[in-house]
This record gives sequence, structure tokens and C-alpha cells, in this order.
Amino acid sequence: MGGVDFLSESAKRRGKAMDDLLNEFLTETGESIDVVDVELVKLEQDPNNKEVLDNIFRLVHTIKGTCGFLGLPRLESVAHASENVLGKFRDGELSVSEHSVTVILESLDCIKEILAGLEATEEEPDGDDSDLIGRLDAIAEGGEAAAPVAEEEPDTVDGEIIDPTLGRSLKPGEVSLEELEAAFANAPGPEEMAGAAAAPAAATSASENETGSLFDRVGGEDTLAVSAHLISQRALASDTLKKFFAGTTQEQLKGRFMGLMLALFKDDIDASDAVGRQLVNVSGFGETQFDAILAMVKDVLVECQVDADTADEAVMMFELVREAVINASKVVAEAKPAAGKAKPGATEQATATKETRRSTQSIRVSVDLLEDLMNMVSELVLTRNQLLQITRNMDNSELGVPLQRLSQCTTELQENVMKTRMQPIGNAWAKLPRIVRDLTVELDKKIELEMLGADTELDRQVLELIKDPLTHMVRNSADHGIETPAERIATGKPEQGTIVLNAFHEGGHIIIEIKDDGRGISAEKLSGKILEKGLASEAELADMSEAQIQKFIFHPGFSTAEKITSVSGRGVGMDVVRSNIEKIGGTIDMVSAVGKGSTFSIKIPLTLAIVAGLIVKAKDERFAIPQISVLELVRASSAENAGENDHKIEMIKDTPVLRLRNRLLPLVFLNEVLGFMTREEIDARENTDDFIIVSQVGSFTFGIVVDQVFDTEEIVVKPVAPILKELEVYSGNTILGDGSVIMILDPNGIASMANSGVSDNAGDEAADADLVRRAASSEKETMLVFRSGQDHPRVVPLSLVARLEEIDVNEIERSDGRLMVQYRGALMPLILSDPSMKLVEEGRQPVLVFSDRQYTMGLAVDQILDIVEDDLDITLSSGQAGSIGSAIIDGKASQIIDVAYYLGQAFPKWLATADNNDEVSASDSMERLLLVDDSDFFRNMVRPILVSEGYRVKAVKSAEAALDLMEDGERFDVIISDIQMPDMSGYELAETIRNGSAWEDVRMIALSALASENDVNRGFEAGFDDYVAKFDKDVLLRSLQQQAKIKGDAA
Amino acid sequence: MSNLVVRKDLSLVATGKQDFVTVMLAGQLLGIPVLAVHDVLNAQKITKIPLSPAWVAGVLNLRGRIVTAIDLRQRLGLPPREEGQASMSVVVEHDEEPYSLQIDKVGEVLSLEDQDFEKNPVTLDVRWREVSMGIYRLKDQLLPILDVERLLTFEATNKAA
Repeated sequence: MGGVDFLSESAKRRGKAMDDLLNEFLTETGESIDVVDVELVKLEQDPNNKEVLDNIFRLVHTIKGTCGFLGLPRLESVAHASENVLGKFRDGELSVSEHSVTVILESLDCIKEILAGLEATEEEPDGDDSDLIGRLDAIAEGGEAAAPVAEEEPDTVDGEIIDPTLGRSLKPGEVSLEELEAAFANAPGPEEMAGAAAAPAAATSASENETGSLFDRVGGEDTLAVSAHLISQRALASDTLKKFFAGTTQEQLKGRFMGLMLALFKDDIDASDAVGRQLVNVSGFGETQFDAILAMVKDVLVECQVDADTADEAVMMFELVREAVINASKVVAEAKPAAGKAKPGATEQATATKETRRSTQSIRVSVDLLEDLMNMVSELVLTRNQLLQITRNMDNSELGVPLQRLSQCTTELQENVMKTRMQPIGNAWAKLPRIVRDLTVELDKKIELEMLGADTELDRQVLELIKDPLTHMVRNSADHGIETPAERIATGKPEQGTIVLNAFHEGGHIIIEIKDDGRGISAEKLSGKILEKGLASEAELADMSEAQIQKFIFHPGFSTAEKITSVSGRGVGMDVVRSNIEKIGGTIDMVSAVGKGSTFSIKIPLTLAIVAGLIVKAKDERFAIPQISVLELVRASSAENAGENDHKIEMIKDTPVLRLRNRLLPLVFLNEVLGFMTREEIDARENTDDFIIVSQVGSFTFGIVVDQVFDTEEIVVKPVAPILKELEVYSGNTILGDGSVIMILDPNGIASMANSGVSDNAGDEAADADLVRRAASSEKETMLVFRSGQDHPRVVPLSLVARLEEIDVNEIERSDGRLMVQYRGALMPLILSDPSMKLVEEGRQPVLVFSDRQYTMGLAVDQILDIVEDDLDITLSSGQAGSIGSAIIDGKASQIIDVAYYLGQAFPKWLATADNNDEVSASDSMERLLLVDDSDFFRNMVRPILVSEGYRVKAVKSAEAALDLMEDGERFDVIISDIQMPDMSGYELAETIRNGSAWEDVRMIALSALASENDVNRGFEAGFDDYVAKFDKDVLLRSLQQQAKIKGDAA
Repeated sequence: MSNLVVRKDLSLVATGKQDFVTVMLAGQLLGIPVLAVHDVLNAQKITKIPLSPAWVAGVLNLRGRIVTAIDLRQRLGLPPREEGQASMSVVVEHDEEPYSLQIDKVGEVLSLEDQDFEKNPVTLDVRWREVSMGIYRLKDQLLPILDVERLLTFEATNKAA
């Protein structure tokens, strides 16, 4: 009875100190498990990787060791069992198999589960792991089966430990209840470390059992003295070890080992740490040396008649001081850097030192603290802004300097605090290899997960929020996207499917792509589902494009898997993913080609805390709209004031719309949405100039009409008070630089209010409009129309223009007879687009900015007229400099300018480099491209771009000319071909080439204005490897890189 | 319920006294437990929130914190403040969220004897009964005590408002 009392008493005493210890343990173990997860998957793929295996073993071992110390029997037994198997792997007794890895992974899951329970209740949850442990043991034994003697081992060795409570002999991995109780009792509260192992604890349980504490089982002080003697003797005799004990007598060493073992086996961690530190006083003592010592200890103990299991356990105890011993050696190394002669251990020593530094240079800080810090800094930024605003209106120079300094410090502080919150996105991916691996087993597929840009950093809050959606999407790709090996082989694909995760920064956002080369999303199958669920009628579906139908996967309550697997298809669909991503101000899009695979791309803000917001006004109130959802700003005049070219708001019955580039944009009046005015009042306004914020929510593009637009400001988003949470038009509120509070509008909410909940349909309508527009303009090109010098308008493909700017004439300088302007921190040459044009006298000069590699130039024009989409029907001009030709654009004869000409004017070197590249034929490292396009314009446009990117480009006018080159035996790496060409189309060219010609294995990219699904599919059927919409320069370049990579991989 | 809470609180105070800040609202004196009051502000620039419930006056900036302003007149069914009439506000917290109660004027801090406390009369206006803890009998007038928690428990009152 007294014993029981004591136990509960001791448990109480352990209380608080245990909490901290336990927390530390939970964090560390959680991290270790995550690493083991990933490493195991690695191991399975590369079973002979000793390093990975060692790492896994060490981690699992540490987990087990700590569990034992903390008195967590369930955890310890599971960890022990899996460690057993891992140990067999390591010793080469067992080979790594899928089955065994699966079971070990299962044990990790079990450990995670127990950890979660521990975290919640601070006690190990109840549960029975004997099945799992049994299986782990079976695997371990399976390995031993080859050596028949080993079968007997448990009995002979553990003979005396027939567990009385279990009534059976213990399995190798199992720990007897007594032992556990002993461990529990022996684990002392830190405040009474030294005394813990003393009598009362032992009296309760250990004394009932002769196995008792480790110290007793090893055989007490006598055995230890003998072993210490033997160990020290051998250590000094060992060739590899003796140098580490140079200057130590055997007697001294014996004393140290003796002390260490006493401390360890009596569970006196503090003491053992201290002794451990003194064990080695020569630098360079690393993992291998420590392992050697351990082996020696085990041998010696066995020789001293200690049974193998106890010896193992004793060796385990040594693990507790592994770090201390090795670190002590490192400290020695640091203390005597001058003495660091080039010894064999020198490299190890170097890496070891680095590790120590790393560990001392980072500390753990609670996330709450960081959050607080971030909030405080946000406040500081706001206050700073307020101060600046106040002093700007004061002539008090005394404040100026300190304020400047304060401002600077604040900015730096803000940046640094932001950095503390940044984490590589790889953290969110850490679990994915394991998930994919499990899926491959479960679904019997072969999938490779490729992760690019894992070190792309983003705010941890965002990271947390996208973790689940990402996981879900990768699951989906593996489950629904990738086909079974049989299917893949049947369709001529490699057996192994690939899922590529790619993350990169793009203009203040992070783009994450999830790409698979699976079966793609079949619109037909979806149609069936859509009909079945009554989401759309047959007639509606008939009108929809494939892309639109595919977008239905984002529709609430949609799951496409034919059979519901345990993996996905649990009813949580892509709609949840979408809404989760939209919740953090992100967007998601998807492109899918049947048979080729799908690509999902997610665009999310870098951080949620500080965002750029556009400040707008409705009635007398100001509001902020997050910049991420603003596509563009359009100014619209009221109908009576509008000139011919001005935008104006028109009505279809009562629905306001705006014509924007030949397309109708639905509008909502902010005044109406917020209840400031009724529609009648809005209609009754006179002579108004409205601003329209073109905004996108999912695939739904619409315009928000506001009274006025101010500047963009960096705003710190703060959540609205709980009572305002129900107002879906606001996503938060913020304090502006002038100290006033404004509400942040949520375009999502506005859209759904405007649509009264049918935003999805509306989205499809918008997509529909988009599609119709595209289909109608399949041959069309978006062109920027401007005027300069002469009367006729000039045009340039919009895709070539980097930016449109208005530059203050006063900022334009003359140097060396050339016009220059300071632009974005560098000098930019300014070229007049026509010799006859003049700069404006005063005010702002419109400038088109072109950018190519490091070259950026401005082209001054008189007036930017419009952006149009029109057919490109070019008639070649008589070779006037700076012009490619003329075309009828928007009903007027327009001259198409030659950007390359102007770039050449601005940078004589530009042409030189471009040309030189063209001429260099010796360099084999460059990719050779063949460009086939009947349009002189495109050949002239595309070629310089490709050449400037470092490709060797041959351009020909027709498919026939290309085939002639093939006859001549020319070789190319990639062929880029137009589709629509006279005589022989791109499809035919591809089919011809793919049909057993000399170029059969050359990668082919279609470059065409025809970019509807049918065209794209047809292109793929014809044998193209990729399909790029004409004049998407970036996509083309990316595609080229990809093709080159594929080719490289294939080679 | 609420008066019981008060009684329990009071029993903990040895002197049998409670401190209240008195405020004036449309001619009616109200008491707010002094410990609930975080700040007393003069008239502030308040940003209106379109579409919000009528008794939400807007949001204001209190030293970098965004505080939701509650129009107490609206909340208690009193006539709206007259144009140009001065206004002050008392900042209280509910669920760690700051709220500013718009009132006409802040009076003084009174230390009141427990024995002067009485339950709400059953005939009291429902809207008042809901947010009043009870009434103190002062010498010359009566002082209803605002139950800040209940006043700001909007979930329950959202529908009613």
C-alpha cells in the first residue's frame, strides 16, 4: 500500500518540472519523427544508403532512449520494436523491403498518435500495440530465420524474464512491466536527481524482481570495475582510439569509464553528462569513434557474463552521453584551433565544428512570442507613419533627423521580424514524400514526387494555412491523376508517373504549381457527373468548353473518382481547397489536357500581415481593396460626357456593364453594395466620372464602381471585431498613415453579394465570355496602338512591351547627344519612335518601356491610343527602318514597329550580342532550334528573343523548307512550329516528322494563335510535345527549357 | 442570474462596497463597474461601417488599436443624440476585444454600499432589463448598473437588434 502511495506522491513531485521536460520531448520527438518519415521513404528507394539508415536508426534510437527516461512505456516499446528491425537493416541481417518499411512507418504513425495523446493529456493514452509490435518482431525474426540458432535467442537469453503479468515469454522488442515500472520509478524529478534511484523507489517494484535497475542487472559495482578496466585497456590498445586518449593513463581512463557507467546505469543523467564531457580531451572524436567505444563496451559486458539484452540496454544508456562526449571533443577542437594539424580526423573535425556553431547560433523561440513581436512591429510601423505624416506638415527641423533615424530603424526592424516569420515552403512539403509513398503502395502505382523551389520562403501563417490544401491536392494528383502502371504503359507513357511541385516568387506572390503527367481531367466523365448531380443541364454543358467543364471540380460537393478510395474522395473536394486558398487571399487555377496531365497553380500572398491595398472612396468613406485582387483600373465617364474612345457604363435592362476590350464586364456599384445609394440615385447622378476596379474572384471577373481612387498603401490587416464577422464585404480593417481607421473590402464578398450567391455560375459565364472572345479571336493578337510623329497609328504586340510609363519631361536628360532618363535606379536610354516627333514641352511624356535581358529602353511616343485585339494581316513594307510592315488594325492602316531596331539604336551592343550569338556555330553547348513560321513578322519577332536567350536559331518560312533541312542532314534540338501555314500545316509537319523521319525524336513545340482545347489536343495528337499560345514569350522560353531538360533526361 | 453574480462578487469585498463610474446618457445616469473601464475618451473620429448593425457606431483608432464603437443610445432604445451635442466614450473589453461605448458625459466614481443594491424591477423595459445588473438607490436618483458582458454578447442579441 505504502508503495502505491509513494508512487502517486513521486508522480506529483515530478509534476511541473516534468511538464517542461515533456514539452521539450514532444517538440523534439515530433521533429525527429518527421525526419524519419522522409528518410525512410528515401531508404526504401535507396536501400543501400548507409548514411540514411544510420540517421534513421539514431533518431529512432534517441526517441526510444528518451521515452525510457521519461517513463513512457507504450512509446518505448513501439520505438524499441521498430528500432530492432532498423538495427537488423543496419547490420545487414535484413534487407529493406517495402513491407518492412510500411510496418515501420505504421509504427511511426502509432508513435505520433501516442505523442498527440501525450500532448493533450500529459499522459500516455491507453492502447494496445501488441499487434504492431508483433508484426515488427516478426519482421525482425524473419531476418533471423536464415540463422536457425537465432530463433532460440529470445528463450535462452531472456530465459529468466518470463513476464509474470503477461504469462508468456517476452518478445525481443518488449519490455517487462517490472522493468517499465522500475524505469518509471527510477526516473527522478530533476530537483532530486541524485536521490531518485535510492531505496524507496527500488523498494516499490524493483526489489520484488531481481532484474531491478540496470545497475543491478549488469552485476553491480564489481562487474563495472572489471569492465571499466577492460574497456580502458582495449581503448588504449586500439589503433583508432588510442590517440584520443593520449596523455591519459590507463588508471585515469578506467576511473572515467567507471564513473560514466555508474552514473549512466544509475540513471544519474547530470552526473553522466559531466563525466561524459571529461571522457575525451583530444579533438576529432566523432560519431565513428563513439560507435567504436560502444561496440567495445558491449563486448566487454558480454564477456563479463552480462546477458545480451542487458548489455544492449547498457549500450543504449551510453547514447545519452553521445552528444556530450562528442561535443566535448569539439570544444577541445575549438579551444586549440592553432594546434589543428592536418590529422586524418581533420575533415570530420571541421564539419563537427560547423555543427556546433550552428547549434549555438539558433535558439528556439515560441511562435506566440514571434506573433506578439510581429503585432508590435506592425503597430510601430503605423505609429511611425503617423509621426511622419504629422511632421511633414510642420517646420520643425529638430524632429527631422531623429525621426529619420527612427523611420529607418523601424523599417529594418519590420523587415527582420518579417524574416523571422518566413519559412521555406519545404516545411509544408515535408510530409508529402511519405504520403505519396504510402499512396504508391496502397494504390499500386508508381509515382515519383519531384519538389522544386522547396527553399522558397513565405510567412509561416500562410504556410500553415496552405499545408492542408497542398497535401490534399497532391493526394488527388496521385489518386485521380496518375494512372496505374498498366494503364500508363498502354498509353505509351513511362510506367512511373511524376508529380512535380514547384514553388517560386512572382511579384510579391508565391506561385505553387502541382503538375502531374497523369490522365488529365476528362470532360466527358465530368459531364456525366455534372448531369447526375444536376449542376448543369445537358444544353448548358453542350455550350461549355472543356476547360469550363473541368473547372467544375472546384464546385462544392464534387468528387470525380469512379471508386472512392481511402485516399481521397472523402467528400472533401477541390471546392474546400479553393475556398481555403481564397480565404487567405489566394487564387487557384487549373489547366488539364486529357492524356497529358493536369497542372494546378496556386497564387498566394507572401504574408498576410502587411499587404498592399488600393485606397478608394465611395460616398464620403474611404475603403481599402487588397491589391492582389485588382486586375486593372478603368476610368469611365457618364454616358453624356463620354467621347467616342472613352469607356462608359452601359445598361442592359438594369444590369450595368462596361465594354472593355471588346468584351462585357459586369459591374457592381460600391455605393449600392454598401447601401449608400439606391440604383435610382446612382442613375440620377450627373456628370460623374467613375472609376472601375476590375477585379477577379476565382474565374469571375467583374468591375467595382467607386467614386474615387487614391493611392496604394501598405496596410496592416487587422481582423474585424466579432460582431462584424458576419459582414462578408469586409475582410478586415486597418489604420492608415493619417491615423484613421478604414475597412478593407473583400472582393469575394462583394461578388457574392452582387450575385446573391451564384458566383459560380457567374464565373462560368465570365469564362464563357472569355472563351467566346478567344475563339473568335483565334487569329488575333493583342496590340498596343500609339501615335508618334506621323498621322498613321503604329502598333506593337503588347506582349513585347514591359511597361507603359509617363515620365516627367524635366527628368529627361541629354548625354552625349542621347536622351536618358533615370528609371528604377538606373539610366535608361530614351529613343524617339519617329525622327519627326518631339518631346512634349512640359508635363509628362508617354513612354513604352521594352526590356530584354539587361537592356531596358524607353520609346517615347506622342500618345498611347488603345489596346486592341485584331487580326494580324501584315503586308511587308518596303524596308523602312524601325518598321516590320503594315497591317489593318481596327480598320486603320497601321505600321508595326520593329522593337529589335529600336533596341539596337539604344544599345549598339544589343544587336552585336544578338548577332554574335547567331553566328557562333562552334559552341555545341547551345541548343539548336528550328523555327518554322510563315509569318515574317513572327519570325522576326521570335527569333531575336530566342537568340538573345542563348539559343542558336534557324528560321524557315515553311514546313517544306524545314523538311528540306532534314533531307540535308541538319540536326536540331527543338523544333518550334507555327500551326497555320499555307501548303503544309504544322500538324502535318509534326505527323511527317514523327512518322519515322530522321527527326523522329526531336522535341517539338507548337507555337500558335489557335489555342482552344481542340487545337491543343490536335497538336498533341500530331506529335507536338508542348503547345504554346503565340506570343507568350515567357511560356515559350519555359517550355524550351523543359523540353531541353526532358531531352537531357532521356539522353 | 446577473444579480447573483454581483452578490457573489460583493461578498468577496470586505467593505461591502463597490466602485462604479457613472455616465450620463440621454438624461439617465448609468453605472459601469470601475474595473471594467479601460479608458475614457473625448470625442473621437469614428469611421462608419456600412451594413453594420445600427448600434455599431463604427470603428476608431485608440493608440494603434482598432476599437469598435457601440452606439449605446441605439442599443438601449434611446433617441439619437442631437446634432452638435458633445459625446464621450468609455472603453471596455469583452473577450479581449476592445469596445467603446458612446455616451454623453462621464460623471464621477462612486463607492456604493451593497445594501443599496436592488434587483431589476420586473416592469423594467426588456431592452434595459437585459443589460442591467440591477439598481442602486442613490439619495436623489436611481442608478442602473450596466452589465458590460451581456451588453456585448452580440450573438444572443443580434437577431433582436
